[in-house]
Amino acid sequence: MTARTVIHNARLIDPASGRDEIGGLIHVAGVITDVGPHIGPDLRKAAPGRDTIIDAKGKTLAPGLIDLRVKTGEPGAESKETLETASQAAAAGGVTTFVVMPDTDPVIDSVALVDFIKRRAAGVAKVKVLPAGGLTLGLEGKRMSELGLIGEAGAAFFTNGDQAVEDAGVMRRAMQYASGFDALIASRPDTHSLTRNTVMNAGAFAARLGLRGAPPEAEWIAVERDLTLAETTGARLLVDCISTGRSLRSVEQARAFGVRAACSVAAYSLFFNELDVGDYLTYCKVFPPFRGEADRRALIEGLKRGVIDAVVSAHDPQPPEDKRLPISDATYGAVGLETLLPVLLSLVARDELSLLAALKPVTSGPADLLGLPQGRLAEGAPADLVLFDPTAPWLCDRDDLHSRSKNSPFDGRRLEGRVLRTFVDGVTVFERG
Amino acid sequence: MATTTGASTGADYAYAFPHRHLLGIEGLNRLDIEQLLNLGDRYVDLNRRRVKHVDVLAGQTLLNLFFEASTRTASSFEIAGRRLGADVISMSVAMSSVKKGETLIDTAMTLNAMRPDLLVIRHGSSGAVKLLSRKVDCAVINAGDGTHEHPTQALLDALTIRRRIGDIGGLRIAICGDILHSRVARSNVQLLNILGAQVRLIAPRTLTPPGAADWGADVFTDMRKGLEGCDVVMMLRLQQERMDGAYLPSAREFFHYYGLDQEKLGYAKPEAFVMHPGPMNRGVEIESGIADHKTRSLITEQVEMGVAVRMAVLETLARNAPDLGAKNA
Repeated sequence: MTARTVIHNARLIDPASGRDEIGGLIHVAGVITDVGPHIGPDLRKAAPGRDTIIDAKGKTLAPGLIDLRVKTGEPGAESKETLETASQAAAAGGVTTFVVMPDTDPVIDSVALVDFIKRRAAGVAKVKVLPAGGLTLGLEGKRMSELGLIGEAGAAFFTNGDQAVEDAGVMRRAMQYASGFDALIASRPDTHSLTRNTVMNAGAFAARLGLRGAPPEAEWIAVERDLTLAETTGARLLVDCISTGRSLRSVEQARAFGVRAACSVAAYSLFFNELDVGDYLTYCKVFPPFRGEADRRALIEGLKRGVIDAVVSAHDPQPPEDKRLPISDATYGAVGLETLLPVLLSLVARDELSLLAALKPVTSGPADLLGLPQGRLAEGAPADLVLFDPTAPWLCDRDDLHSRSKNSPFDGRRLEGRVLRTFVDGVTVFERG
Repeated sequence: MATTTGASTGADYAYAFPHRHLLGIEGLNRLDIEQLLNLGDRYVDLNRRRVKHVDVLAGQTLLNLFFEASTRTASSFEIAGRRLGADVISMSVAMSSVKKGETLIDTAMTLNAMRPDLLVIRHGSSGAVKLLSRKVDCAVINAGDGTHEHPTQALLDALTIRRRIGDIGGLRIAICGDILHSRVARSNVQLLNILGAQVRLIAPRTLTPPGAADWGADVFTDMRKGLEGCDVVMMLRLQQERMDGAYLPSAREFFHYYGLDQEKLGYAKPEAFVMHPGPMNRGVEIESGIADHKTRSLITEQVEMGVAVRMAVLETLARNAPDLGAKNA
């Protein structure tokens, strides 16, 4: 009999089934074979000596996180981040599967590049890495890439990355074409002509700071356009990183009319509001920007209602030379792989969310969107797991982060909830010492 | 030798073709179509003789007016006209007066004043041929208008199938490729439906016209499923400019999913025939081995049927034309 690993004395949290109870889990050869309250110390006694027994000591065991939006610098800008360093940050953050954006150099817009990412990740990454395919060639928003062949090569979905497709005709045809394969298209909602050279959320606070603001309508217009095109083409759409309550309402309304639309939210949008940019902090210069408190609360309410399909890290490593600049000149982006789970757990600790509602959009939510078997504590699912202490307080110091770039807006912040151990296919890929 | 009378002589014309022009398949009924095909059938026989000439259009003037480049359709009409004894003038208008700024209607009025009897028109804009037909006194034949209709192509395709297989009723016929921009597909779907075929359209969504499901055809995006049990596979030409990422990512991706190769053809009936209106893009929509297949490819046969069907159309419309001289006398 193949060696088993038994994890017992754990609080089992599984958003897919709604399970929240004390019990244990058994996995064999990387696959979960049993889970439930019946797996306890007596079973441990019955197990032959060769089994690995892990006492979770009452800590929480959940499916490993799935993050649908990660940028690395590989290929092209390895000084920012490689697939290897990003996977280390992921493992330390309890993320066991992540999707890399095609915004690389060269752009992941061909079968060869998708293949490169898959093979490279298989060689160096500690966690599972899925490439997203570029929707248009070079992400230029003009000509669609080989969506069929790239999809067959293993692209998780298609996206134009950080560059919204401006030309509605191109977007419409790409959606039409993709719908023939039932492929998922992720689109970042932005009207670039309204957000060019902006630094933060538009409004009174930006005006007081003397900074150019990105108006929320730039997002609303794009959300409406893409939802409309998804409706008429029948395409599957993921509205990527909405940041306002109104965008969420639009997605919900469209869904009520049968549009096949999902939406994601960046974890930072759930934690910060525009006031956090206060001291011209360039680590807080991100896109979409931190919005007002009302929008933050609306997104939290969306999580409670279960209408946000995915919360993403929007991990975007940037080196100091691009961040240690006056805020108007600094580049956008923040690392987030390692803080994704702690941000959600901090919201739970502050009583803003239940643990199940917080974890669904990082486990079964994205898994269902991509049709992945992981993201659940269920018999037959891969043993991608995270063991964490949901209330342990810690101080985030950017120098302790595993990412090669340290541009975290959480630097110097107190967070609650820490990852203790991460498993991918049953193998421990991170353990806090 | 039949040099003075057409193939239509005989007592079998109880039904008079009721149209002055041939602007499209739309508006034709089963009798109209069968009459043209029957006459075409007889012209095939004539065309296989050493002396391919009759005088049914002697003294009449056929004007071929091509506003869009064409080799096979223009020469097919020209040969058809000459074999029927007409005086044929072919003009490629793309490079003449239109370039000088003359409007389409002015060109038509000018040519009409020269008193042609039959006017064959190809134009890049849908509806342009119909517009011209309202401004002239002679019979107008649509040789392709924009992405609207190409009725003689549909007739020649039907004649080809009829001669090879027999009755078109009940056959399962797939039309594959760029349906959106195809006038051939639009004419063929209508004609094949009238003759009782089961029509299937196979195309990527970007090249499937909105509402195609209401054309009386089953629409497929998966070519293998679409080809299942088909008796005839009609491939369409894919314009180069459609493949540059606007409608399709690339020629190779198109061939991968929609190019007719041995493997995909294997999903059709074992003896299914392959057709293409030409000119072909070998390696894009069709594999060379299939295009040149001795028993299954009907592509060169289609060209032969084209001349015969166009002779039938010219003769039928000429017979219907009012004699203006007599009326004004």
